Amino acid sequence: MLIKPVAEDFRVIAHSMGRIFVVVGLAGLVPLAWATVGREWHPFSSFLLMIGIFLLLGVIGLRQPTSDRLDWSHGMVVVALTWLLVPLIGAIPFVLSGHWGGEIDALFDAVSGLTTTGLALVQDLDHLAPSLNFWRHLLHFLGGQGIIIAALLVFAGGGALTLYLGEARDERILPSVTSTARFIWSVSMVHLVLGVTTLGLVAWQVLGFTLPRAIFHGLMIFFAGFDTGGFAPQSTSVGYYHSAIFEATAGVLMVAGAMSFGLHYALWTGRRRAVLDNLETRTILSTFGLTMAMTLIGLAVTGLYTHAVGLSRQGFFQVLSAHTGTGFATVPASELATWGGLAFGGLALAMALGGMASSTAGGVKALRIGITVRSIVNQIREVLLPEGAVVGTGFIQAGRRRLTPQLAQAAMTISLLYVALFLVGAGVGMAYGVPLDQAMFESVSAGANVGLSVGVTDPAMPLMLKLVYMAEMWLGRLEFVAVFAFLGFLYAWVKGK
Amino acid sequence: MRRLLALLAVAVLLLAPAAPALAQVPVGALLSDPSLYEGEITVQGELVGDYGYRSDGTVWTQLNDDSYAREPLLEGGRRTGGNIGIGVRIPADLVDGLDPPGGYRKRGPLVRLTGEWEFHDPNRGGESYLDVKELILIEPGREFGEGASLPALLVGAGLILAAGVLWLRRPRPR
Repeated sequence: MLIKPVAEDFRVIAHSMGRIFVVVGLAGLVPLAWATVGREWHPFSSFLLMIGIFLLLGVIGLRQPTSDRLDWSHGMVVVALTWLLVPLIGAIPFVLSGHWGGEIDALFDAVSGLTTTGLALVQDLDHLAPSLNFWRHLLHFLGGQGIIIAALLVFAGGGALTLYLGEARDERILPSVTSTARFIWSVSMVHLVLGVTTLGLVAWQVLGFTLPRAIFHGLMIFFAGFDTGGFAPQSTSVGYYHSAIFEATAGVLMVAGAMSFGLHYALWTGRRRAVLDNLETRTILSTFGLTMAMTLIGLAVTGLYTHAVGLSRQGFFQVLSAHTGTGFATVPASELATWGGLAFGGLALAMALGGMASSTAGGVKALRIGITVRSIVNQIREVLLPEGAVVGTGFIQAGRRRLTPQLAQAAMTISLLYVALFLVGAGVGMAYGVPLDQAMFESVSAGANVGLSVGVTDPAMPLMLKLVYMAEMWLGRLEFVAVFAFLGFLYAWVKGK
Repeated sequence: MRRLLALLAVAVLLLAPAAPALAQVPVGALLSDPSLYEGEITVQGELVGDYGYRSDGTVWTQLNDDSYAREPLLEGGRRTGGNIGIGVRIPADLVDGLDPPGGYRKRGPLVRLTGEWEFHDPNRGGESYLDVKELILIEPGREFGEGASLPALLVGAGLILAAGVLWLRRPRPR
C-alpha cells in the first residue's frame, strides 16, 4: 500500500531545502559584489532580487519545526527539488538582463549551468555584463562541486549520507560524509588557486590580455573546465584564445574535473599505484584511446584537415572535451556538424561514455562501463573454461572489490537508462525535423551533461525540444535515482492513503 | 574568329561562378562554408572581447558581423540569436588608436578588414582566422549606459529585510 506523505514529511523536506537555499543565496553575494565593483547596476538589482527570494525561502524552510530525521526518500526528494528550484530562482538575473529570449530560455541556461552541461541559449553573449557571465560560470561551480555538499559543510544536520548519495556521488572517501565534503571542497579550492593563476598568467603573458581581463578569463575557464561545464565567456568558446598553451592548461583542468574525488584522494596521499590499478582509470584510458582513434581516422578520411598537426590538435581537444563532459570547443558548431561519419561517431561515443563516477563529469561513467565489460568477459570465460573452473571476480576500485551479479545488474540498468534517455531525446529532435545524426549528437550532449553542439540548440528551436533537453540534463546529472524517487513521492502524495 | 573568341570570353566571364575572395563576405556565410573562401577576402563588423597583444607584433581579437554590431541590445536592438564572429589577427600598428573592443555597455569599433582567410592553418595547429592586411575604421566605438531596475532593487531589498526579520524572530529550542 502506498503511504501518503504527511505534514511532517513536508516539514523535513522544507527544512533541508531551507539550508540549501540559504547557501545558494549567500553564494549569490559574490556576483552581487562583482556587479558593485564593476558598477553594473542593472545586474546588481537582479542579483539582489534573486538573493532576496533565496534567503526568504531559506529562512521560511529553516523555521519549520522538525525532528530533523531525514530518511532516504526525503533525501532524494530534496536533491531532485534542489536541482529544479535552484535554477528556477537562479534564472531571474538572466531573465531581467534581456539577453535571453524569455523565461524558458533563461531557465534552460540555468539548468545547463547547474548540471554542468554547457548548452546555451544566451543571445549576444559577447556584450553580456561580466557579473552575469560570472554567475553563469558560478552555477557550474555550485553544480559541479555539489550545492548539497556545500550545504552539508555549512549546516550540520541529519540525513547527510542520503543527500550526498542522492547527488549522484557513490563514494565516501573519508569515514564521515562531512569530512568527505570538506575534502572535496579543499581539492576544489587548491585547483581554483592553481588553475586561475596558471590560466590568468597564460592569458596575461602569452595572449597579451590586460591583467584584469586575464584574471576574468582565467576564472571563467577554470569554473567551466574543472567543473566540466562548458560555458565560456565569449561566443567562440575556447577557440577565442587561439592558443595551444591555453588549451593545454584548460585540458589539464578538464581531466582533473573528470577524475573521481576518490582518485584525487589517492593522489593526494601519494598512492599512485592505486590510481593505475583502478578499474575506472584503465577503462577511461581505453575508451579515450578508442574514441580518439575513431575521431582522428574519421577526420583524416573527410580530408577536412590537410596536415597531421592541425588534425591531431583539433581532434584531440574536441575528444578530450567530449569524454570529460566539458563541452568546450575550438571549432564552430557549424563546422562540427560537417565532421560526419566516424569522427562524429567518435565524439558522440566519447560524450555518452563520460568521465568517472563521483566526479563533476556526466555520462554513463567509466565505472559502469568497466563493470559491464568485466561482467560480460567473465560470462564468456565461464562458458569457455572447463566446468568447475573458477573465474576471478575481483577488481580494484578504492580497494579490492568483488564483482557481484547485483553490482553488474545495477551498472547495466543505469547504463541502459542512459541509452534510453539519449534515444528519447534524439527521437523528439527527429520529430521536429532534425537529421538523425545531429538529433542523436545533441541529445547525447544534453543527457550526458557535455555541452558540445552541432547547432541544434538555438534560441529558435521548438519549446518542446528545450523542455526535453532540460529534462535530459536533470535526469542525466542526478543519474535517475533521485528523480525517480521524487516522482514516486509525488505519486504517493496523489494516490497514497 | 576574333569576334567568336571575344564572345566566348564574355560568356566565360558571365557564366563563371562569382569569385568570393574579391567580394565582401558576410561572416555568417564564411562560417557556413569556410573552405570556399580561402584566399583574400574582406569582412566587416564589430571588434569585440579583448585586444591580445602577442610577442610577434600582432593583435588577436574577434570580429562579429551580426545584428548586435549594428543595433546593440542596450540601444533597443532586437534579439536575433547568438553572435556570429571569427578570430582575426591584425598587425599591432593597425590597432593603435582604435577604441576598446566591444563588451558590456560598449559597442566596439566597426571596421572593414581585408586579409587572407586562413582555413585550418597548418602553421597554427589547424586554427581558422583572418590574417588582416588592411583595416578601415567605419565607425568608432561608443559607450552606453544601463541603469538599475528599481522594482527589482526595491523588491529584493524588501525580501532580504523580511528574511532577516524572520530569522531573528525564529522559534528557538528551550
